[in-house]
Formats: sequence, C-alpha cells, structure tokens
Amino acid sequence: MGVTAVTDTAKFNASALDELIAKRQEPAWLVDLRRAAFETFCEKAMPSRKEEEWMRTDIRTFHLDKFDLPAELTEIPADLPSGLLTEGVDLGGRLVSYNSRTVSSELSEELKAQGVIFGSFSEVLASHPEIVRKHFAHAVDPHFDKFSAMHAAFFTTGQVLYVPRGVVVKKPLHALSLLGAGGVDLGHTLVILDEGAEATMLNETASIDESAPGLHCGAIELFVHPRARLRYINLQNWGHGVWHFAHQKGIVERDAHIQWTIGALGSKLSKVNQHVALAGVGAESEVNGVMFTEGRQHLSYHTLQHHEAPNCRSNFLYKTALQDRSRTVWRGMIKVDKDAQKTDGYQRNDNLLLTEHCRADSIPGLEIEADDVRCTHGATIGRVDEEQIFYAQCRGFTRKEAIRAIVIGFFQQVFDRIPVESVREALGKAIAVRVRDYE
Amino acid sequence: MAEFVRVASVDAIADPGKSVFEVDDQVVVVFHVDGQFSCLDDVCTHDDGPLGEGRLEGCTIACPRHGAKFDIRTGAALTMPATRATVCHEVKVEDGAVWVRLRS
Repeated sequence: MGVTAVTDTAKFNASALDELIAKRQEPAWLVDLRRAAFETFCEKAMPSRKEEEWMRTDIRTFHLDKFDLPAELTEIPADLPSGLLTEGVDLGGRLVSYNSRTVSSELSEELKAQGVIFGSFSEVLASHPEIVRKHFAHAVDPHFDKFSAMHAAFFTTGQVLYVPRGVVVKKPLHALSLLGAGGVDLGHTLVILDEGAEATMLNETASIDESAPGLHCGAIELFVHPRARLRYINLQNWGHGVWHFAHQKGIVERDAHIQWTIGALGSKLSKVNQHVALAGVGAESEVNGVMFTEGRQHLSYHTLQHHEAPNCRSNFLYKTALQDRSRTVWRGMIKVDKDAQKTDGYQRNDNLLLTEHCRADSIPGLEIEADDVRCTHGATIGRVDEEQIFYAQCRGFTRKEAIRAIVIGFFQQVFDRIPVESVREALGKAIAVRVRDYE
Repeated sequence: MAEFVRVASVDAIADPGKSVFEVDDQVVVVFHVDGQFSCLDDVCTHDDGPLGEGRLEGCTIACPRHGAKFDIRTGAALTMPATRATVCHEVKVEDGAVWVRLRS
C-alpha cells in the first residue's frame, strides 16, 4: 500500500452536477459555464509538488472523497456565532450562510432605496441576472486549476454586493460563512462597485467546531469600476481541520481604489491565490495581510499585483507570525506589462518566528516589461529578539506578556493601515489569545 | 501519545528499498536496508522535496530536488543544502508486518 494521487472524486461527479443543475433552475449561460468547468475539473489532475505553485504545499493527505456536496439544510444549529468583526459596528446589511446554504439575509431599507443590492448569490441571480452575468467568472478563471474548476462547477451559494453609480455606502456590510463538522463551503463572493461608488465589506469565515474536518473551495471577485473606492476585509478563521482552497481577484479600473485586508488565522491547510489587476490608468491598490499560524497549520498564499495600465500604484504588505511547527509559504509577484509605464509597485512580507520548528518561505518576485517604473520588494524572516523580552521582563512583564506585546508590536504597522477599528481590534485580540509562552 | 499503525507486510518493501505511506494524516517514507526498517517524514528540510522519490544509497537518501542527503536511520541531514534533520519516526516489526508510530 502506498500513497495514491488524490484522484478519487466520487461524490463530485456528473450525476451530482446534473442533480444540482436540475434543482437550481439557473439561466442557460450559467449552466453552460458549470458544465465547461466540470469538464476541466475532470481533465485536470490534482496538483502535485512537481508544479511550481505547489512545490511547498503537499496535499497528498487531502481526500476529496471524504467530502460531499452541500446538502439541503434540514436543521440550522441554534446560537450560530456572529463572527469577530462586527462588535460595536452599525451594519448596513448582513448575510449568513451555514454549510453553503444561506440562513439569513438583511439589508437596510435606506440602502435598498439607494439601489444597493446585497444578498445571496441565488437571490441576486434571480432578481438581477444581468448584473451577475456581466461579472461572474470575469475575474477568476474557472479553468485555472482543478480547484477553481470544482468551485465553478459545484458552487451553491455566495454573496453579491452591487453598489450603483455614485452611491456612497457609509455603513459596512457583513457576510459570514460558517462550517459545521464535515461541512463543505463552495461560496462565491461577487462585489461590484459601479463608477464613483464607495463601500466597505467585511467578509469572514468560521467553523462551529474548532478541530472538525471541513472543506472550503471558494472564489472572490471584486470589480472596482472607474473612480470607485472599495474597502474589503476578508478574515479567514476556519477551524484547524478545514482544507481551504481559494481564488481571489480584484480588478481596479481607472482612478479607482481598492484597500484589501486579509486576515488568515484558521484552516488546516490553505492554498490561496490573491490577485489584484490595476486595469485602468491611475488605479491604486493597497493590500494588507495579517497571518498567524500555530500547531501544524500550513498556509500558502500566492499573490499578484498586475500592473496592466500606466500610472498605477500598488502597495502590498503581509505580516505573519508563526509558532509551534506551523508553516507559511508566500510567493508574491509584481508583474508590470509593457504599457504600464510610471508604475509604482511595492511589496513586502515580514515573518516573525516564535518557535524553533516553525518555518516561513517568503519569495517575492518582479516581472517587469516596461522601462519607466519604480518597483520595490522585500522580505524579512527572524526570531523574537531575546533582548527585547529581557527588557520587558525587567519592567515587570512576564515572558508570555512580553512575547505577546512584541507580536502585537510586530503587526502594528499593518494594523495602522486598516481603517476599520472593529477589524483592528478583532485581529489584535484574536492574535493575542493565540500567543503562547516559549523558552 | 500516538499509536503504532500497521503500514505493510515485511515482504512488501524490497531490501534495499523504500515505500511511501500515509500514516495518521502525514506522509512518511519507510526504508528497508540490510534487514532493518526505518521511517522518515517524506520531506526534505531544505525545500520540501519528496525524499521518497530520491535515490537510496546504502543508509542515505538523497533529495531529488537539490541533492541533500539524509541518514535514513536517524533523519540527520548529512549534506548541504539541508542543515536540519527531518523527523525520524518509530518503527517496529511485529507479526510479519511493519508498524510506524509518529513522533511529533
């Protein structure tokens, strides 16, 4: 007996797809898209470590046949958690899903009157099909790999936010995706800000049981049309038994701005592709990342700042702290097309190792075809400075308090870039409780 | 403490030879050389290369990616570019089978 390649996908099969399509009664274009994605899913093998993107991420112990397509909900657990990001926040709307099924959907009357659309994917597909069709799968390529294809073929729920031209949504909108034990989430997030619109969306995930197995195979597509401004916060806080595969892409048009904050605290193994395309002249992006890993977690993030148009600015900062035997892999790329003159691109990844056996792989990259650009990248990896701990202990801190203070100080630079106070506080607290005492 | 898990019969792994198994959610390589069994994590500590696909020479395994060598009996890194040992797990032979207990 030996390790076999992960090819057994018994439950994600043609008859399951047929059954899903029959139940959902979707437009022909979406059915065709699902079927084409399914073909790709069947053709492509599970990624292996021979591929560049997977060289440092081993998924041989991931068995897709242990998971099933999300079933209809017969019972919603009582006391579903409300998430970490919304304490004290006056929200404009809220969506909650459990095991890929929407359980609640709310939007304030004021925002509805302004033409804002915020609801589950199925709701918005039914009420505004033209908006969905214009954008769905135009950012994330369903045929990129086996996971993106699986998602596009079998997704069942998700969130859609559409903000009309010129509308400024002052109150944040919140979407929470929850997983029960053995649950599967294939949610698709679609955010569209029309010209000159502004909005803040908080998107978070969590598991009911911290250690139960689960699977998330999702996609996030963010469309920021000319002169629009989007603040998008995405907190991944799955339990430590969850396999997390995601493709996430933002397209920023002329003079538009995206501020994208990701928090990554959970999951057993994450493999996330996070891309931002600066597609219009004068587009700007700021990406902030806060990651904390422990146990035997393995988080792998592949990021891309793609400068397609001239005079665009991208600023990228990921900070990661690791403890126990956890692993992170960050592979970042700034890609500048030939026409993207006067690009200003910045990319930095800092890693703080709290224990001897954790490991961070940090690999920045530049691919530049224009000749009048400014691109900077950097990566740091280091242990906690024992002198700093000693200094703090001399002033009455315990060792654990000292380490915790140092870790929070390490993240402060990226916290300062997060404009939503509840998010800063939530991330700070979530990290502080995870820091342990080490000699 | 983890339990011993039966991975194969003693005849299933040639001598000299190696084979890769999944044990308790981890992938390991079991070696059979000169009548002795040993077990390492299937990962090179340099750059995550798959040791199980490497070349076995005596009691050393060479990572196929960049050639780092490890002692199959202890997991010790013997040559650059590896500088850290890979995890060596407990092995026993009992009732005609090879059993592995993972070390944390």
